[in-house]
Amino acid sequence: MQGILFPRGVVEGRKDLTEYRSGGGYNGLEKVLKGMTPETLIREIDESGLRGRGGAGFPTGKKWAFTQECSEQPHYVVLNGGEDEPGSKKDRLLMENLPHLVIEGVILAAYAVGASKAYLYINSQYKTARDSMAQALMEAQEAGYWGEKILGSNFSLEIVFVAAPPNYVAGEDSAALEVIEDKQPLPRQKPPFPATVGLFGKPTTVNNVETLANVPPIIANGAKWYRSFGTPESPGTMIFSLNDEVNCPGIYELPFGSSLRSLIEECGDGVKGGKTIKAILPGGPSSAFLPADQIDLPLDHNSLRAAGSSIGCGVVRIVTEGTCIVEEILRIADFFAAESCGQCPACRMETNTLAAMLKKVQQGQGGQPLLEQFSKIISFNKGKGFCNLINMPGPPIESALRLFRSDFEFHLANGRCPQN
Amino acid sequence: MKQIFLVCQNVDCKSRGSEQLMKELERQVAERGLSDVEVRSYICFGACQDGPNIVLYPEKSWYAGVKMEDLKDIMNHLAGGPDVKRLDKIDASLKELIYQLLDTGVF
Repeated sequence: MQGILFPRGVVEGRKDLTEYRSGGGYNGLEKVLKGMTPETLIREIDESGLRGRGGAGFPTGKKWAFTQECSEQPHYVVLNGGEDEPGSKKDRLLMENLPHLVIEGVILAAYAVGASKAYLYINSQYKTARDSMAQALMEAQEAGYWGEKILGSNFSLEIVFVAAPPNYVAGEDSAALEVIEDKQPLPRQKPPFPATVGLFGKPTTVNNVETLANVPPIIANGAKWYRSFGTPESPGTMIFSLNDEVNCPGIYELPFGSSLRSLIEECGDGVKGGKTIKAILPGGPSSAFLPADQIDLPLDHNSLRAAGSSIGCGVVRIVTEGTCIVEEILRIADFFAAESCGQCPACRMETNTLAAMLKKVQQGQGGQPLLEQFSKIISFNKGKGFCNLINMPGPPIESALRLFRSDFEFHLANGRCPQN
Repeated sequence: MKQIFLVCQNVDCKSRGSEQLMKELERQVAERGLSDVEVRSYICFGACQDGPNIVLYPEKSWYAGVKMEDLKDIMNHLAGGPDVKRLDKIDASLKELIYQLLDTGVF
């Protein structure tokens, strides 16, 4: 299957500058600096329909325009390589093996939004990725792709590294800005959004690694070419992560609109041990469970939203028959309770309470009335936090209660999993 | 019926002295030999701005912004004295949410 980031299948091993250039690398940057204004570049990205790959799926061109249009100076770009979503390793792989693709994306973003400084915010546990990016930065600087007056143009850019703490909330865009400002990784209240009031109060574009890796190929080949992949509302491809539940775990680039079945059966070579699928969590722990009969659903923003779930950052988890959903959901609730940064009272209350409630269900306490309380706690707290974490436990818990109520009822009646 | 003081021990309430309040409540309950009264910690009532929060359950009295000197009136109420109205300042919808939850046995 032809990809955009991995045209010949997932890249194994690091590509240095020579290899990257032999495949047309930095052609996009040269083309832009020879005669594209930031506005034209943004229009091209807007027309390509590129959407953020960090989870929210916001249109990249629109985000860039918010920053570019601000008269307040200077402007900044932040590459968000925090990647703390459980099971996600796509950004790490891109930074390790295709560092120049990511760096060219950063430089193009900086040109587009009028930034003179870019921060590479990379998970502090990703040593190989950081080393690879650092080496690529040196190579790119020597070749004149960043620094003073890039390729003889009037565009200058400084690029620096910042280590991202390896906890979930530190990957949130405004928390990343706090870290860069040498503060605790706590999300900021929004609005204002970072695009207009960001780093040191200045307009800042924060983009995920995979998002920016898509920019050079779009610029080199055009928006129309990019739209030949994917669906009209989700153009291009997305990297999906499959973990140990399948025979061939790994990361796979597929055009948006490919079916869940093709990802699981063709890329992942099916579920381990030939087990039957019970449910699918298509977009990480904050997405809603899909029942097994939705396996032919296309993987794109609209299709998953219509099915009541979301694509997140492409971590697809498969729950097989014989797995108790109560145990699954308790793990998810514990995860959010542990990762809530604690600065918003409502989030602390919600995540702690939901985890405590599920623990009671697991032990067979509380009865039916307790099951009725979940949606009340979730709706009471909805939107009451600075960041989106407060809204995250809702979709998996409510979908689990709707689709697999019998697992909950078994626990209530027996205080144990149906399988044990 | 056995009454339980649920004393929030989450960050905000703790920072306002709920640990000391809990210890003092335990001391006073023991001192009076109230075998049908229990003092327990609670995860969070969601009224952090108004903490420290203590809920008397199943009676369903909510005391917010409790100070050490309020404990006397709270204990007096437990013994049949008047409600401590000045500490009853929590929104009715939150009270209902929490009381329903407590009714299911989550504490």
